Amino acid sequence: MAGIELGERAVEVWGGRLAMRFRTAGSGPPLVYLHPAAGLHFDPFLEALSADWTVIAPEHPGTGGGDADAIHAVDDLWDLVLIYDEAIRALDLEGPVAAVGQSFGGMMAAELAAHAPGLFERLVLLAPIGLWREDLPIANWIMTPPEELPALLFRDPQCAAARAMFAPPEDPGEALAATAGLIWALGCTGKFVWPIPEKGLAKRLHRIAAPTLIVWGENDALIPSAYAAEFGARIAGSRVEILPECGHIPQLERGAETLEIVRGFLAG
Amino acid sequence: MKIVAFAQNQYRKFPDDFQDRHEGTVTTPYALAEPGEVRAAFRDYLDYIMQAARSGFDGVAFTEHAQTSYDMIANPSLIGSAIGYATETEGLDVAVYPVGRSLGKAREPVRVAEEYAMIDCISGGRLMAGFPVGLMFDAAINNGVPPIEVRRRYEENLRLILRAWRDPEPFAWNGRFTQLPSVNIWPRPLQRPLPVWITGVGNPATMRLVLENNFGFNYFGWFGSELTARRVFDRFWEIADELDAPANPNRMAFMASVCVGETDEEAERVYGPHLEYFLNKGPGATQLGKLAIPGGISLPGIRFLLEDQAGDFGFAHEMRHADIERILEVGAAVVGSPDTVAERLIGIARDFRVGNLVTMLKMGSMPRDLVEENVARFAESVLPRLREAGVGDDWPHRWWPERLGGTPEPAGAKLDALAGAA
Repeated sequence: MAGIELGERAVEVWGGRLAMRFRTAGSGPPLVYLHPAAGLHFDPFLEALSADWTVIAPEHPGTGGGDADAIHAVDDLWDLVLIYDEAIRALDLEGPVAAVGQSFGGMMAAELAAHAPGLFERLVLLAPIGLWREDLPIANWIMTPPEELPALLFRDPQCAAARAMFAPPEDPGEALAATAGLIWALGCTGKFVWPIPEKGLAKRLHRIAAPTLIVWGENDALIPSAYAAEFGARIAGSRVEILPECGHIPQLERGAETLEIVRGFLAG
Repeated sequence: MKIVAFAQNQYRKFPDDFQDRHEGTVTTPYALAEPGEVRAAFRDYLDYIMQAARSGFDGVAFTEHAQTSYDMIANPSLIGSAIGYATETEGLDVAVYPVGRSLGKAREPVRVAEEYAMIDCISGGRLMAGFPVGLMFDAAINNGVPPIEVRRRYEENLRLILRAWRDPEPFAWNGRFTQLPSVNIWPRPLQRPLPVWITGVGNPATMRLVLENNFGFNYFGWFGSELTARRVFDRFWEIADELDAPANPNRMAFMASVCVGETDEEAERVYGPHLEYFLNKGPGATQLGKLAIPGGISLPGIRFLLEDQAGDFGFAHEMRHADIERILEVGAAVVGSPDTVAERLIGIARDFRVGNLVTMLKMGSMPRDLVEENVARFAESVLPRLREAGVGDDWPHRWWPERLGGTPEPAGAKLDALAGAA
C-alpha cells in the first residue's frame, strides 16, 4: 500500500441489520472491485486503476475492519447477492459502473451481473470460481496449509509479488491480527461456497448482459485455466485472455500485462 | 464416584510406518484393511464393553467417528442399542453412555432424538446422552457443513432434540437448518429428564453452554493432562463460580487412557507399544488443520489460540511421533502398577473435582488377551480404591440415570430462552 490514500464509505443495508463498508481510492468513473476469499487488500493493481477510475471496494460481511459477527446476518448466497446489490445501489454511483472481481470476488461479480443485468456497464472476471467440472477439481484453498499457499496461488512462488503478499508485518501484534483476519475472512467467504464452490452459477451466467472480459493465468493451480472457456461459452460476447507463465492472481504475477488488457477493455 | 469404561475401535494391523505415509482419518486408504481383522476388531470391541459391564464398572462408554480408522464406529447408537439390550438381558445395571452423536454435523436431528430414545427404552432407562459439537473435519468434510455454521447447527439441533424428548404435544419446528411441520417422536425416552453430557476441549463458550443448561461436562486427557488439565479444569470451575453453579464434582467427567500392569516397569514395557500405536496412528495422524478449518473458530477464538500458542492442545502437534516416554511425561495416559494408577487417578479426581472417571482400558493395537487382563486387573485392584476415595459422593449426582441412583434435573433451559429471545 505504497502511499495511496484510502477513503471509506459505509452504507446500512438489509433492513438495518448490516453495515457494508467500502474502501475507496482515486477519481474518475466508478469501478467496483470485489475481493477474493482472503479479504480486501489494496494491491498495486488497484492502485494503478485508481489513476483513472474511482475504485470502490466493498468488504465482505464479517471481514476487514467491520463487525466480525456481521456474517451471521447473512444466511445464504441469495441473501449475499441481494445485500451486495442493495449496498452498491445505495452508493448512488454516477455514470456507468464497471466491475472487477477476483476469484471468490469474480464469482460474486458474475452472480451480481446475472442477478441484475444493467447494474454493471462492463465486467472483468479474474480467475473466478463458481463452476465445477468432475475432471478438473478445484483445490480446497480454505484447507490449504499456509506454507503451501504461495505455490497454490503463484506460478513462481518466489516472484516478488508472491514474497510481498506473504511477508508478515514486522510488528508481532499486527502480524497476529493479520493472520487472524485472514483465517476469519476465509471462513466468512467460505460460508457461501463450502464444500464445493459451485452453487448453480452455470444456470445463471446466460443472464449477464454486460460486455465481459475473462482473464486467467495459464498455470493456475487453484482453478485450472480450462475454466476460462467454460465461462466464455456461457457469457454471450465475452472475451477470454489467457496469460502464459502465470498462476491464480494474474493482476499480481503478470501485473503490467493484466493492467494493459483490463484498461483497454474498460476504455471500450 | 462413578467409574466408566470406554474404548475406540481402532484398526489394529497397520504397518509400522503408517503415520509417515497416511492420515488416520478421511483419506486413509481402505486397501490397508483386512476384512478378517475388521470383523475381529468389532467382536473384540463389543466383548471388551461387556467384560467391563460384568466387572463392576458403573457405566460403559463409546463414541462416534466417521471415515476414521482409529475408531470404526460411524454411529454410536448402533453400539448403544446392542449394549443396552445385552446388559439388560444379563441384569447388569450400568449406565450406557454414547459420548457422541455429534450435532454440529447432524442433518437429521430428529433421527438422533429417536435413536437415543430407543436406546433408553431398550436399556430400561440407563442412557446418558452425549452430544458433542464434534470434530471440525467430521462436520465440514465428512458431512459438508460450512465450518462457520457448525456451532449454530449444533445449538439448534440440541434444542430441537431436547424439545422432541420433552414436549408432550406434536410441534412444528421452523429452524434455520431444519424445518418440520410436525415433530412427535415415538418412542420418547423413559427417563424424564434424561442426563445430557457434552464433551469439550476447553472452549469457554462450550463450558458456559454446559453450565447454564445443567449439562455434564466431559474432558479428554489425550493432549497430555500434565500440560492441559490444570488450565482447562480451572477455567471450567472459574466459569461455574461466575455463573453461581454449584461446584459439584459430579458434573465433571475426565477421560484417561489407563494401563495397569504388575509393576510400573512391566506396564510401560507391555502397554507402551500399544499406546504409541493408538496416538501415533490415531489422533496423532490427523493434520491439526483438519480440527481448525477457517470459519469453525470465531475471530476472538482465533486470536486467543494464536496468542496462547494453542496451549489447550497440549502435545497434539507431537502425537504423530511421540514415544512412550513422552506420552507418560505429558500425562497423556495413566500407566503403572495398581498403586501407581490408583494414586494418579485419585489425585486427578481430587485436584480437579472430577466425580466421573472415564477409563480407556483398550487402545491402539492391544490384543484381546491383554485387554482382558487390563480390565480384570483394574476392576480388581484399582476400582475399589477409587470407590473408597469417593470423590463427589457427598454431592447429589444430577447427571446420572435415576434408575442407577442419580437425581437428574431438567437441562437445556437457557438454550430455549436464548432462542426465544432471538
